Amino acid sequence: MSFRSRRHSRPLALATALAITAAALAGCSSTSSSTASGSATSGTVRWWGWTPDQNVATNLITAFNKKYPKIHVTFKKVPDQTFGAALRPALASNVGPDVYNLLVGGSGASATIFGSKSVDLTPAMTKLRGSNWKTGLYPAGITDFTVDGRLVAAQVGKVAAGFLWINKDLFDKYNLTPPKTMSEWVSVCKTFRSHGLGCFKEGVDAAGFEVDTLHSIADSIQPGWWTKVIAGKAKWTDSTGVKMWQVWKQLDTNGILDPGALGIQQYPDANNAFLAGKAPMVQMGTWYRQYTSKPNLAAALSAAGVPSDTKQITMVPIPFPDVAGSGNTPGLFGDPDYALAVNKKSKNIAAATTFALWVSSTKEGQQVIANNLDEDPVLESVGADVSKLPLVDVAVQTPYLNTLAKQGGNVTQPRLANISPLLDESIKNAASTVLGGQASPAQAAATLQSSAK
Amino acid sequence: MNRSVRTSGFIWILPALVVSVGLIYYCIGYTGFISTLKWDGVSPNQLSVGFANYVQVFADPVFWQSITHTVAFFLVSFAGQVFLGLLFALLLHSRVRGAAVYKVIVFLPVVLAPATMAPVFRQIYAPDGQFNGVLKGVGLGFLQQPWLGQTSTSLPVIISIAIWGGTGVAFILYFAAMSQIENEILEAARIDGAGNIRTVVSIIWPGLRGTTVAIAILTAISSLKTFDIPWLVSQGGPSYSTEFLGTMIYREGVPLNAVGYAAALSVMLLILAVTIAIVLRLGGRERGAVNV
Repeated sequence: MSFRSRRHSRPLALATALAITAAALAGCSSTSSSTASGSATSGTVRWWGWTPDQNVATNLITAFNKKYPKIHVTFKKVPDQTFGAALRPALASNVGPDVYNLLVGGSGASATIFGSKSVDLTPAMTKLRGSNWKTGLYPAGITDFTVDGRLVAAQVGKVAAGFLWINKDLFDKYNLTPPKTMSEWVSVCKTFRSHGLGCFKEGVDAAGFEVDTLHSIADSIQPGWWTKVIAGKAKWTDSTGVKMWQVWKQLDTNGILDPGALGIQQYPDANNAFLAGKAPMVQMGTWYRQYTSKPNLAAALSAAGVPSDTKQITMVPIPFPDVAGSGNTPGLFGDPDYALAVNKKSKNIAAATTFALWVSSTKEGQQVIANNLDEDPVLESVGADVSKLPLVDVAVQTPYLNTLAKQGGNVTQPRLANISPLLDESIKNAASTVLGGQASPAQAAATLQSSAK
Repeated sequence: MNRSVRTSGFIWILPALVVSVGLIYYCIGYTGFISTLKWDGVSPNQLSVGFANYVQVFADPVFWQSITHTVAFFLVSFAGQVFLGLLFALLLHSRVRGAAVYKVIVFLPVVLAPATMAPVFRQIYAPDGQFNGVLKGVGLGFLQQPWLGQTSTSLPVIISIAIWGGTGVAFILYFAAMSQIENEILEAARIDGAGNIRTVVSIIWPGLRGTTVAIAILTAISSLKTFDIPWLVSQGGPSYSTEFLGTMIYREGVPLNAVGYAAALSVMLLILAVTIAIVLRLGGRERGAVNV
């Protein structure tokens, strides 16, 4: 009897084990469905991103909740340099964010890689804006976030770079005017340094902000060459390329670039020094415009650990000087900034989609984006009204911001969209070796050309 | 031992076995598998490339730079930690007032998280930082420089931080080991006319050989695994001058999305760590220093 029962127990145990295994596997895969789930008007949405700042995200969520009070959105800000590291395992798990930021180009959470984990938003976009949903939206943002025919994320805003931010208070204090040429820039920096200040603070460390400076230098030599060389239609070893590295080196040898740029990080070092009034000039893009607003600047200073009674600086944007002396004042170049992707594994896909599309593609959401100043809206019908903003110095900053807004509308070159992580790394290495003296401009150009192949 | 006892013993170690095999060895095996792929770590498309990633590792100059930095890091930080750890242990074994306070001060850096201290060291070694300020204050202003912004000085800065953070461990180990040395031996040495230095060189130091080997193993392995300090302080730069295997694995795996290549580097790191641990252990045994 016992023998019989043992014979029967083996298949039974095997079947049980298989059933448990199958159940476990089914459990693992049950949440991988990409079909919309949950309610579109209620639920909890966890949003991860490296941007915007916490206070800006709070503004956005507060405005969203006026229309969708039953969708509870939480924002988790992850530093940009670690965002990809945090996102990769999170998306592989079943407890990742419902909504996450994506970007185009450069090193980070790029749409081409992390877009495979997101929901195709085309049907939702069609439902929201109709079959002509693309009309009125920033075209580059649609193209850049469409991967293999899927709209992997909804663009939120666009940014541009190619100009400098200066501390107008310091310029006025020492009777200086914004530099327009290399010689003027050298002179301005000499004055600042003679008063114990730095001058142009830039971090050539890891985040790749030197790419913007190099692009501006290249545009001062030959407008449009940078975009061609990134696209492989010109060579890094062209005379423009070699001259670009020469001018880059001159920024250091002429005393424009603050010492130790290779050991400085753009965030937090250069950012904090500028906002705290210790550095007169930095190269940042339109996202930096948010700090012309008193509350945003106060929040940024607080986050940087700067004492709350520190005087708020009057920062204004100025064109990048014609450092090559070719008569070309570099213009702006820009991209869609970040976009919101909805995680395929989210248990609240419908609510997450509601949030992502409200921010990116409705007038209400885009107006909040515009008013926050860190992004330009991607909806053409929406714009920021600078006159209503609590600027640090309305009379001084308003004309500069209006000029910047006009220039922003004339952007023709992409910023990072076509720069792969590997090319980004190669450019950074070339910039470091030229600045550090390990390579001549010609050698750096040759190495870069070799890497680009 | 009969069969039933062996069976019951197996059951007792089963949880640990499952955890170690499941978590550690499975992960090692999976990393080995990934190292044969060309994969970004996210995409469902994994391209098998065999040992191509390993071939690329050996042809990569940054890999060899990382190895060189690791060797330099190990040699200098080991020497620094041994010297300072021994010095502090000797001093605090003598009758010093407030010894307990000094012990805490020496050991405190060990318990401070590198992530917390990295911004502090970035500030200290910044061009306008405290280190340059001190140099200027003591009349050595001509030595001021951007310590983290030069390939010639960035690695020594990283090593100095590692010595600062690791000396406490060497100190504790030496302090404990010195307590094991018989007082009679020390007294006999004194009676024979040995001075302080002679006693340290001929009696104490030989008695600490096992501890020194242990510190060497710990430092070697931590050198191979070094990531937090170079990444948080200098991000492996400038121009890879503070690149280690750990930072290289991170750079390749995360910003550059070359997860397969990063896995191959991880396997190389594992092989190096095990090899060095075995070599140092055998070296210690040959000298009869097994009682660590």
